[in-house]
Amino acid sequence: MEIDTIPAMFWQAVTTRGDKTALRQKELGIWRSVSWKDFGNTAREIGLGLVRLGFAPGETASILSNTNCAWVYADMGVLGAGGVCSGIYPTDSAAQVEYLLADSGSAYVFVEDEEQLDKVLAVRERLPELRTIIVFDMEGLRGFSDPMVTSLEELRRLGFEHHRDYPEAWQACLRGRRPEDLAILIYTSGTTGKPKGAMLSHANVMHATRGNAITLPSGEGGERMCFLPLCHVAERIGGAYLAMYSGGVMNFVEKPECVPENVREIAPTGFLAVPRIWEKFYSEVMIRLKNATAFERRAYGVAIGIGEGVVERRLAGKQISFPLRAAFWLARTLVLANIRKSIGIHRCRWIATGAAPISPDLIRWYMALGIEVIELYGMTEATGAITVNPIGRSKPGTVGVAGPYGEVAISTQGEILVRGEHVFMGYLNLPEKTAETVVDGWLHTGDVGNFDEDGYLRITDRLKDIIITAGGKNITPSEFENQLKFSPYITDAIVVGDRRPYLTCLVMIDHDNVEKYAQDHDIPFTNFASLCRAQAIRELIQAEVDKVNAGFARVEQIKRFSLIEQKLTAEDEELTPTMKLKRKLVNEKYRPLIESMYQKEAA
Amino acid sequence: MAPESILQLKNVEAAYGPITAIRGVSLSVPRGAIVTVLGANGAGKTTIMKTISGILDPTKGTIELEGEPIQGLEPDAIVRRGICHVPEGREVFPLLSVHDNLMMGAFTRQDRAGIAEDLEQAYAYFPILRERARQAAGSLSGGQQQMLAISRALMGRPKLLLLDEPSLGLSPKLTKDIFEIITRINRERALSIVVVEQNAAMALSHAHFGYILEVGRVVMEDSCERLMQKDDIKEFYLGMHAAGVRGERRWKRKKTWR
Repeated sequence: MEIDTIPAMFWQAVTTRGDKTALRQKELGIWRSVSWKDFGNTAREIGLGLVRLGFAPGETASILSNTNCAWVYADMGVLGAGGVCSGIYPTDSAAQVEYLLADSGSAYVFVEDEEQLDKVLAVRERLPELRTIIVFDMEGLRGFSDPMVTSLEELRRLGFEHHRDYPEAWQACLRGRRPEDLAILIYTSGTTGKPKGAMLSHANVMHATRGNAITLPSGEGGERMCFLPLCHVAERIGGAYLAMYSGGVMNFVEKPECVPENVREIAPTGFLAVPRIWEKFYSEVMIRLKNATAFERRAYGVAIGIGEGVVERRLAGKQISFPLRAAFWLARTLVLANIRKSIGIHRCRWIATGAAPISPDLIRWYMALGIEVIELYGMTEATGAITVNPIGRSKPGTVGVAGPYGEVAISTQGEILVRGEHVFMGYLNLPEKTAETVVDGWLHTGDVGNFDEDGYLRITDRLKDIIITAGGKNITPSEFENQLKFSPYITDAIVVGDRRPYLTCLVMIDHDNVEKYAQDHDIPFTNFASLCRAQAIRELIQAEVDKVNAGFARVEQIKRFSLIEQKLTAEDEELTPTMKLKRKLVNEKYRPLIESMYQKEAA
Repeated sequence: MAPESILQLKNVEAAYGPITAIRGVSLSVPRGAIVTVLGANGAGKTTIMKTISGILDPTKGTIELEGEPIQGLEPDAIVRRGICHVPEGREVFPLLSVHDNLMMGAFTRQDRAGIAEDLEQAYAYFPILRERARQAAGSLSGGQQQMLAISRALMGRPKLLLLDEPSLGLSPKLTKDIFEIITRINRERALSIVVVEQNAAMALSHAHFGYILEVGRVVMEDSCERLMQKDDIKEFYLGMHAAGVRGERRWKRKKTWR
């Protein structure tokens, strides 16, 4: 069987790896292993269960669930049955769920539990194409019966019967799709407007996965964490599908809050995450250091200093002298190893970051710990990665080289263009948008960047994010924002100033760390808002802003800032499901707050 | 806060050995107001009360009564300064008579006339106590013991009364009665009261101001009228449930405290 579709790849993995561990799921405090054979059987039962219910090749099924093993079972079941699989963020509201189910024309939807089921039930009357809702976890639904709702268990029973009656059916299903057929829909998180469904073909996914196997090497049995939303391209392609391709073990965390603990238990050998996670780990270490003894702090200071020295020389392409190498070995063994262990990344061959910009200083910090860091750049429309920093030749501040994926070029306007087999099929139901985005085979990314002398790509900004101040100065806000986010007290920030006399900034504080700071410094506060309003906290953030300001020219500096006084969660419209502030929406929603930053000056 | 506060806690932390029970609580009690502190089991409500009355010393932070720091003082010194504590589970002296229990409440006082006056007042609030004056307190019913515990605290002529779960183990009717008396005492004597409660509906409808405590931290503070309008309070404290599409809903939405 030619490995040119996802089901073919999956079944190849199942047949060749058999009893080896495919994935682990932590349940009630215990890691449970599932073999490739069992994974295959479950996916087959789901796939054939759908067929038994009347699922036709090319039809769409959506999955509305947190990241867990049932997600990938259902994904492989749907794709194996020749269907199209679309993911929905579990934090989406019922109205958003309705939009995504209607837009994708889903005939089936898998829901995680009672909570997600209620969202679909609330909108199902307006979804004529929806036929069956399948529930992963029936807890709390024992007494509930509805002709449209069934359990995963029941679906698997149907699939089991189907397989008994027609033993050849599954193999036929697996062969049913061609590489150029639509495989998965990934809705772009949409920092602007309605989400758009990016159509990825089997060929797109396979091309990207082969590339990832080179740039993110993980041999058979390599341990990977699985906790980012599977509806996002990073975890789906760079996590799950790469693991299926290369034989890595997917470890599903118990709950999103348990990530740090679960990482320490598994000690992954390769770790792909978003900057937010790397920032979080870093600030945890910083906070722990503050509570450490003076000796420990000294030891850390010396060791990280040696590490930084080595990284600096390495990045400059200089020889590392023997004494320095020896000192680094000592620092790593005696001190830095403990920090790596406390995060749980001590077995990592590499850690990778993508999906959002990251501060180069943060990358250098991880490198100083003695870990290879791969920063990559990608987007949904290019089936994930576009450029990757090669292992061992990483350049912080750049997003690396085009590598095995395809061609990358810069347009005359400075926009990054991409061509190759990984460029997506287009946006579902939006031919004009597709035509705008892909012109003559070149995907227009909307990002602005340039290549350095070594061919490494440097992203300067989003084309539409560029701010032009009233003075006519072009400002790229993300540079400032990323440096600000490096502070343990700041989670996210948005620089404002388009057609304004000066730049201002909205800041979202890191609740835990700022709360801890307040407590350590006897700053009275009660709730989140009063914490934000405390004078000492404003001063703390002011100091962080000043620090970043120092590195910028006067016109590029932030004159005023405001704190967002409400604790935002993934359910809030201000945040994308990946917890990034939505620039446009925030700009509108916090208009009065923004205006106030421009009025005070006049008063 | 505009009205003058009689009690002010700033960043108070308290621990039982290695376990930190309250982690940075700041709250203030306006003079003459009833303030309620709500929270789940183990949120640190009782710990706050014990820390205020000096049974537990805070590991950090300050507690000011009328602007004077009182943290770390001995409990009896705090009673002398005008804070009386009605502990959780009433804790009357079971073998002493009702009358003697009340007199124990006036232990720190010397003014015989005043004591007699307050004793009379206590019997006026709770006539049943006069009837049982000679009976051992241990033989009283739960509700009567609660009345006795409150009266005993009032015998100290406090400026501030701390009530820890007055409704514990009482029937809904008795709970209502107790709260009505509390409101009356507050009104008639302009006595400032802090009341910790599990019965959120009752506490919110009688208090002026409320704090919500979650794992040792204040997550919400507002006037009780406004608190009662908040979605999180309605769902998690008042048990009001927007019924789902299926007519039932077992899952809980995430708390946002806004």
